[in-house]
This record gives sequence, structure tokens and C-alpha cells, in this order.
Amino acid sequence: MVSTRAVASEQIYSRQALREGIVAMSKIPEVLPRSIPIPEFVIEACSYVWYHFIAVMRWLPGGRYIIEYVRKSHQDDPYRTIVEILLIIYGIIYYFSKPQQKKSLQRSKPNLTPKEIDALIEEWVPEPIVDTMVLEEQRWRLAKIPVIQHSGINNRVNLTRNNGAESFSNVLNLCSNNFLQLSSTPEVLEEARKIIKNYGVGACGPAGFYGNQDVHFNLEYELADFFGTEAAVLYGQDFCVAPSAIPAFTKRGDLIVADNHVSLSVQNALQLSRSTVYYFDHNDMESLENLLIDITESEKAEHLPATPRKFIVTEGLFHNSGDIANLPKLTALKLKYKFRLVVDETFSIGVLGSTGRGIAEHFNMERSKSIDMTVGSLATALGSSGAFVLGDKVMAHHQRIGSNAYCFSASLPPYAIKAADKVLEIMNNDNSTVQLLQKLSKQVHQMFSEPTFSKAMILTSSPFSPVIHLQLTPELRTKKFNYSKEGLFETNSDLQKKCNSVKFIEPYEKEEIFLQNIVDDLLQNDSILITRNTIVLKNETLPIAPSLKICINSGLDEREIESACDIIKTKIFEHCYSDSHN
Amino acid sequence: MSSTPATNIRVPMIPPDDLPRSVKQENEYGRLESEEHLYQVKPMKRSNQMEKPIVDTPPYYISLITYLNYLILIILGHIHDFLGMKFQKDKHADVFEHDGLAPWYSKFESFFARRMKKRIDDCFSRPATGVPGRFIRCIDRISHDLNNYFTYPGTTSMCLNLSSYNYLGFAQSEGQCTDAAIKCVEEYGLHCGGPRTQIGSSNLHIQAEQLIARFVGKDEAMLFSMGYGTNANFFNAFLDSKCLIISDELNHTSIRTGVRSSGAAVRAFKHNDMDELEKLIREQIVLGQPKTNRPWKKILIVVEGLYSMEGTLCNLPKLVELKKKYKCYLFVDEAHSIGAMGPTGRGVCELFDINPKEVDFLMGTLTKSFGAAGGYIAADKWIMDRLRMDITTASYAESVPPPVLGQVISSLMTITGELNPGEGKERLQRIAFNSRYLRLGLQRLGFIVYGCPDSPVIPMLLYCPSKMPAFSRMMLQRKIAVVIVAYPATPLIESRVRFCMSSALTKEDLDYLLRHVSEVGDKLCLKLSSGKAGVPQDGIPPRWDVEDVIARTGEDCKDDRFFRV
Repeated sequence: MVSTRAVASEQIYSRQALREGIVAMSKIPEVLPRSIPIPEFVIEACSYVWYHFIAVMRWLPGGRYIIEYVRKSHQDDPYRTIVEILLIIYGIIYYFSKPQQKKSLQRSKPNLTPKEIDALIEEWVPEPIVDTMVLEEQRWRLAKIPVIQHSGINNRVNLTRNNGAESFSNVLNLCSNNFLQLSSTPEVLEEARKIIKNYGVGACGPAGFYGNQDVHFNLEYELADFFGTEAAVLYGQDFCVAPSAIPAFTKRGDLIVADNHVSLSVQNALQLSRSTVYYFDHNDMESLENLLIDITESEKAEHLPATPRKFIVTEGLFHNSGDIANLPKLTALKLKYKFRLVVDETFSIGVLGSTGRGIAEHFNMERSKSIDMTVGSLATALGSSGAFVLGDKVMAHHQRIGSNAYCFSASLPPYAIKAADKVLEIMNNDNSTVQLLQKLSKQVHQMFSEPTFSKAMILTSSPFSPVIHLQLTPELRTKKFNYSKEGLFETNSDLQKKCNSVKFIEPYEKEEIFLQNIVDDLLQNDSILITRNTIVLKNETLPIAPSLKICINSGLDEREIESACDIIKTKIFEHCYSDSHN
Repeated sequence: MSSTPATNIRVPMIPPDDLPRSVKQENEYGRLESEEHLYQVKPMKRSNQMEKPIVDTPPYYISLITYLNYLILIILGHIHDFLGMKFQKDKHADVFEHDGLAPWYSKFESFFARRMKKRIDDCFSRPATGVPGRFIRCIDRISHDLNNYFTYPGTTSMCLNLSSYNYLGFAQSEGQCTDAAIKCVEEYGLHCGGPRTQIGSSNLHIQAEQLIARFVGKDEAMLFSMGYGTNANFFNAFLDSKCLIISDELNHTSIRTGVRSSGAAVRAFKHNDMDELEKLIREQIVLGQPKTNRPWKKILIVVEGLYSMEGTLCNLPKLVELKKKYKCYLFVDEAHSIGAMGPTGRGVCELFDINPKEVDFLMGTLTKSFGAAGGYIAADKWIMDRLRMDITTASYAESVPPPVLGQVISSLMTITGELNPGEGKERLQRIAFNSRYLRLGLQRLGFIVYGCPDSPVIPMLLYCPSKMPAFSRMMLQRKIAVVIVAYPATPLIESRVRFCMSSALTKEDLDYLLRHVSEVGDKLCLKLSSGKAGVPQDGIPPRWDVEDVIARTGEDCKDDRFFRV
């Protein structure tokens, strides 16, 4: 048997040897252990395959070198061949096996029979679609929403509450965000009527598809000219702008440094930005600078391939406290540490600065040189609806491609655009309204910052802010409700982290009711309408405290407002020091 | 060109055309030529609903050419980038770092916009003026330097409008809706006051909300001043990371944004694939949350009623069945279907003859059918009570301004017949006829058209990216305004033109359109239909003569036999 095997291989290899003149492989059979009987046809087939394999390898360009290499390496280190073959086999198995990710998902899939699956599905009880556990405890919020009856948002209004159960007439309105009241002037109304007669109401399309009309383009030019920037981009609603415009420019790895008291709109933006977010203490420039130094240093140590985009995000007039960001210092810092500055000016456009050009003018700075991206609203001081972003041309152009709320939403109604345009024109010609507003704001500010009053409630707003935010002093809050702003933040973050469906913080609710009682008292007994700063606590991710809001507008009479503020002060004082809540 | 004054770079304000009133009316809303051109939509038969739609595919060479087209564009773009960034640094300053600041966007991120979209920028954002009704008055512009900038000679052209979301033709400058809006300006002013929970509610808001709730068949509704914002700030009011959202892969960006900001887990299913959806729901109920394997707190299925890029309807009967079977919740975004679909315009629920109470949330916009702006959410009372406190838009954002409410209330009352009885019904019958007529006409001419018969959105496939600008420009030359859409709004090779139907159009307008589309289609080789998605099913690709189409489709389009549902 052994001899025949040798003969067979000899025959095959002799043919090859004859053709190429090389005596090769003749010793192969000797490698095989002679003691194990191997069927003839296996040997023959193997030799045949081996012969053709070698022949093909020789025929391939460069094949010779491979054979040469394998042979040499096998000669030097036979074990290496085994390891390499195993590696190749492993590679092939790895290649044909399922991707790792799928594997891990399947791993977690329990091996269940269809019956068990059906039982599990049967068993699953979802929570109700919205949580109603504390609905009754919080329902008072719905009943306290004022509904204005048959008039615009004037300074004297008739209103009902709680589905018409309560009604009040000729109430002094200290809630409106229409600070300048310019859009209620006859010339602006006339312009709006004219546009409705020529354009209809809706724009009937997104900006990319014939929705932007000549009025839209022209308001963008006007806004850019008015605020001294290269370009402006219009949006449909103020609350949606920051969460759309900021994420259009940020991706993973970018850096955002934000004030830790920014409004919910900016918080949403930061959440959607995908970037690394750091917070600095509210309006504390030292804290900001320390943070920037840290970031710059760690960046130097990391040796990144490209500079990430870096932003400082803050607000002009803070939504929750009414104070003003320190723009000169912010600008200096952003220039020093190479950051871009984003300022949400929803409340400060038309309010700050001698002609209402916002926070940049307030500090006598040029907007284009200090703020890289401004988010502004047409629905506050400008008295129309919608919002806009100001900045350089490159940024504006990219927003028109990459900002979701711009690309995927219908353009603003033309009449709103034209009204805003007209208001800008009035502001451009005459700044007396803005001046009047600031004068009134300062006056009211003075009244509420008296030391005796400050023992009950603190005024957090700046003297220039037409929104007066009044918060209970920490001492009084602890005394009355036995909790603190920091404690509230902690409890709230804790609830958010745990994803509890019921988010009910009792002392906070009590304080809200206490503030609402003040509002109710003023409305019922003195015909003055102020409001709580309504917030949705479960969505707030930053420290916040409940506050009362009094909004001043330039259409108010100086004496009227003075007497109203006196009454408000007295009422607040009474409530704070009455014992009914202790 | 250097001598053009700088002001020409800006879009000019166009003074309104001084036309006689009757001509103006005709331009905004064409008079009905004949009672023949009306069609009353019937609720869909249950037996038809479960059939899977057949999607026509183009011949292989078209797909190949399309990919080649993209390949050439990408290669040219990269060569352009390479040379431009070596030799013309000043022209590409936007993608370079300067003063230590990273660019606003990187070279890679902006490649698509700079090198591909920019080539066809002249087909987008065309400025218009006046009422976007039956005709739209486009402001002429001249493109320079490969759409680097435009100049405006100050002239306009009246184009047949197949681009605006003006389904029921309420974009008008006179009539009861405009009167109502103007009355609101006089009575209520322009400003909304502030957020809804502070001062932004008026009796108009309450009235409009009640009307909408009644119209869609829910207890209560809530209005918002922006359609996108309605969705974008809705889901975080009641979902968190322990909840699951199962979403159709083609859902609108506003839904995706809203879902993302809610933090809930998301699983997508293939567009309208109910089997995959069921499998996914079963799997997710069994698996529960990743890592912890605890059961999900709640599962919300999110779909759109009518998909704006496909013209397809959601399979509502099946969705309701699945939702009940597996105790999930259902959200239907009716942005495009409310007002425009169903026998009396009440959207997909009515079209499928399903009680709206079976759907947990009905969302819709006021921009499209009602000619206003904003959005709404409607649900049961106990749900809305909770949401009124929890939806952030209500407490932080501006509320709907009065003139828009005037338009919403009056147009809604017109649809229901409370105002000008008969007018609403006619508008609905006109859009139904128009949609069916154009769809069948295009199919008979040999174009590939997606969607269901009654859909007012009619997407017609172009495939090659280079045919998009060609089609759009040729249509503009023929005074027809159309919208072209491409990747990323559609799959890469399925670039399309989207005709948005309107009641304001007449059959004569559609005949004009068909003649021109047919001619352009021949030139651009767009008649690619194999006939397998249409009727009859004889295997012969339909290539009708345009005059035959016009003569016979008017009658045929009213018959369901000619459509595959």
C-alpha cells in the first residue's frame, strides 16, 4: 500500500518535473505518518488539488514569490505556518459571522416560546398616556388662566377665568409682553390691513418653496440694517429659534459654555446640540473666565486634529430673572479665548439701548463686533409675531440650509412681517417710546427696591427691564415653605433622573399657590392683573425659583402705574407677613 | 454685469398689481367651469385598505444613470474643492479657520450644500409677492456665477401655482375669511400679549379651539402659533427616557426633533409596513428597556396621516387594531390631510371611517388647508387638562395672533358649512376632482406617480438629480411654479417633483399643466412607468397621447376602477 502511494505521487510529480525541470514536492508523502492507513483516492485527490494549486500560483503574477516566501518561512519556523493558517481560518470565520452589534442585541433576547411571548404581552400594563395622579392638586393652574374678552391686549381689559365662572372688567393689565405698544398705533394697523387685502393671511409654504415673499426678504434686510449686522433670518415662533439655530452649527465634540440661569428655550437648544456643555455661575464673569481657562488648557493638552467650534451662550435680559448679561466682559473673554458669543435677546430687543437696538447698544458696543449670533423676537417689544436670528452672512446662509425650524416650517404671515417692518421704521425715526419705557421701568424698579420691601421680596430685574421679577427672599421661603432654591433644584433634578412619572414637589406647589393668591387678591380687590412667571418645572434643568412678574409698557400712565405699584407692594407685604400660611 | 447697481442684489418690494376686481378674483380662485369637475370623496371600503400598494420602479438603466450622475457630481465637486481651496482661498474663506475660530461649518459637512445644492439654488426660495392662490406672482431674478448671487430686474411673472400649500384655496385677498381677519385686526389688534398661561388667551382662542375640537371629533384642542413648534415641543410634555416611541421612518423633521428632545427611546419601522410594526411592538414589549430589561412605561406609535413627500396614507385601520391589541398609544400628524381629505374634510379618520376617539392624539397644522399659520393638538379632555399645564409652548412661547385666529375660525366655518353654506362642500369636491384628475392624467401619460388617489400631494418621479433643475426651469419658462425635492427629503435616487393640488385651480389649468408636463416629460425622458402600479394591468406601459388623456380622464378619474387603491 505504501509503495503504491509513493508511485502515484511519483507519477504526478514526474510529469511536472519534466515540464519545468524542477524536482519538487516529492517528499510530501513522507511527511504523512505511514502508520495511519489513508484511502488511496484521498491521497490522489489531494495531490491533484495540490498540484493544480501550485500550478495556478506559479501562473499568477507574483505567485512565485509567495510560494518562495511560504516555503522559506516554513523552513525557518514550521510553527509559524500553523499559526498563520489558524489566523486565516479565524479571519474567514469572523468575516462570515454576524456583526457584533447584532449579536449583543440577540444575546439579550430571551429564548421564549410563542406562548410565553403572548403571556408577556398580555401581562404588560402601560402607564396611562398622561399622568393624572396630581392633576387635581394642580388643576388650579388651569382655572387661573385669564381669558381676555372681546378686545386686544390693551392696558384696560375685561377678562374671565375658570370657564367664565369669574369675570372682571376694566382691569389694569400689567402682563403684556408688547412693551412698546407700537404695533397698536393706527399706522401699523392700517399697514397690516393693507397687506391682508393684498397678500391674504397665510404665506402657504415654507421659505424654500415660494413661502418667502418680497415682504419677508425686505424685513430681513431691514432687521440686518437696523441692528448693524450682515444678515437676518426669520423664524415662525420665538420659542423655537434657539433650539433650531444653535444645533444647526454644533456637533459632537463642539463646546458650549452657558450661563446656568438661561431660559428653557436655550436649555432645549443645549440639549439638542450634541455638544459638550459647561455651565458658569449666573452672570459671574470670574467663574466664566476660570472655566474658559480650564477648557483652553485641557484642549492644549489633548492636541485635537482640528479646533472645535466653541460657543458662549447667554441671554440679554434673562427670562427668569430680568437681569442683564455683562456684554463688555463677555466680548473681551470671547475674543481672548476664541469663543463665539450667542445671546438670546428675546426680551431685550426693542427694550435696551437708547434707541431699542438691544444689549449691544445698551453697552455702547457694535453688535457685529461683539455678538456672533443674536436670537431675537418679533413678538415681544416689536409687537408682531415670529422671531429672527442676526449674524454674519455665512452663518445666515448655513441656517437657511441646516436649521430645521427654518427649513421645515411655513413662513410667517405677510401681515405680521409688514407690521414688524413698520414698527422698526417708527423706532428708527423716533426713540421717544423706548426712552419712555426705560423711564417707567426705572421708576417702578426704584419703588420695588426699597429696603423695607426687600425684606419680603427681592427684585431681581435690572432697572432697564420692563419685566419686574419679584422672588421671595430665601429667608422667607425657608420660614414659610421650608425649602430653598438649591433644594428645589436638587429635588427636581433627582426626579428627572429617576424619570418619575409623578413630579410633584409640595413646598414648591405651596409657594406657587401663595404667589397666585397675591395675584388673585390684586385682581379681585384692586382690578390689577399681574402674573406668576409660569414655568413647567419638570422640564427645567437649571436652578429656578418661582417669581411674580409685572410687565411695564410705554402706553401706561405714569401716575396710574405708581398707584398700582403702591397697591401691589402693600398687598405683597400683607401676604408675606400674614400668618395664614404658617 | 459689474455696472449693476448694488440695490439690485436685494429683492425689491413689488407694488400690488392694479387689476380689475374680477380679474384679481379669477387669479386667486378660478371659477368652476362645469359641475362635471367635482367629485365627492367616499369613505374607503375596508376590503381595499389592507392591500399593499405596488410601487413602480424605473428601468435599471435609469437607476444606473442616476447613480452615475451623483458620482460625477461628487467627483467634480471634490476636484472643484481641491482646486478652489488651493488657489482661491478667499472664495472659500467660510470653511477655513480664522482668528483661531473654527469655521461655522466644516468642509465635509457643507460639501452637499456647497457643491451640489448650490448648483440648483435658482430652483429654490424663489421670491414671490401677492396672494399665493391659483396663480403665484414670482419675482424674476437672474442668477450669476453659478448661483453665487442673484440680481432682480424688478419684473414679475404670473405662474400657475402648483407649489403652495393652499389645498382648499383659502389664500385669498377677499371673501369672508379676509373680512374676518381684518375685523380681528380692528377689534383685537396684531399682538397676542404673551404666553397662553399668562395673558395670551382670548375668547377668540377659546372659540377656535372649540371649533377645531368639534371638527376633528375630539373633546378638546389646543392651538399653537407654529406648526413645527407644535410637534417639536410636544413629546417632552409626557414622555421620558423610560418610554418608547415607534415611529414611521418617513416622519417629518418636527416630529423627530420633538422625539429627540423628549429623551424617549425611538425605534423606526419601514414606511407603512404594518407587519414590521407588529413584530417590532411584540419584540419591544418582551425585551423592555435596554440594559435594565424593565418593561417600557408606555409605547407611543407616531405616524403621519398623509405623507407629504410620498402622497401615501397611513394604514389607520390596522394601526388602530394594533394599538388596541398591544395597549399602545397612537399619535397621528394630520398636517397635510386635515381639511383636504375625507368626505367633509375631517382628515384620515373620516376617510377610513374610523371614530377619532380611537386615536389618542390628533395633531394638525392650520397653514395648509386653512390658509393661516400654526398648529393644533386635539385629545380627550382629561389628557388635554394635563397637557395644558405641561406643554412648554403654552407657558413660554407667544400665542396665536388674532388675525390668524380670524382666518382659522372663518375658514373652518366655511368648510363645515356654517358660513356661506355650500361653499365649503364645493371646495372639497373641487380639490378631490383636481387631485384625481391630475394623478390619473399623469399616470396615463406614462409618468411614475406615488401615492393614493385622493391625495392632494402628487409626487412625480424624476430620478436623475440633473433632471430636477431642468424640469423646474422648463416649467418656470412655461409659467408654472413647481416644487422639486431631493435627498435628504427623499431616498437618494428618488428625486421628484411635488405637485400640490388646490381647489383654486380649474380643469383648464390642469389641462395646460398636463400638456406642458407631457412635452417636457418627452424631452427629459421622464415617461418611465411600466404600468404595473396602474390600471389596466395588461402589462403594456401606458403612453397615452395628451389630447386623449384630456378628453377622457375627466370622466374616468371619478371612477375607482381606474385606480389601484
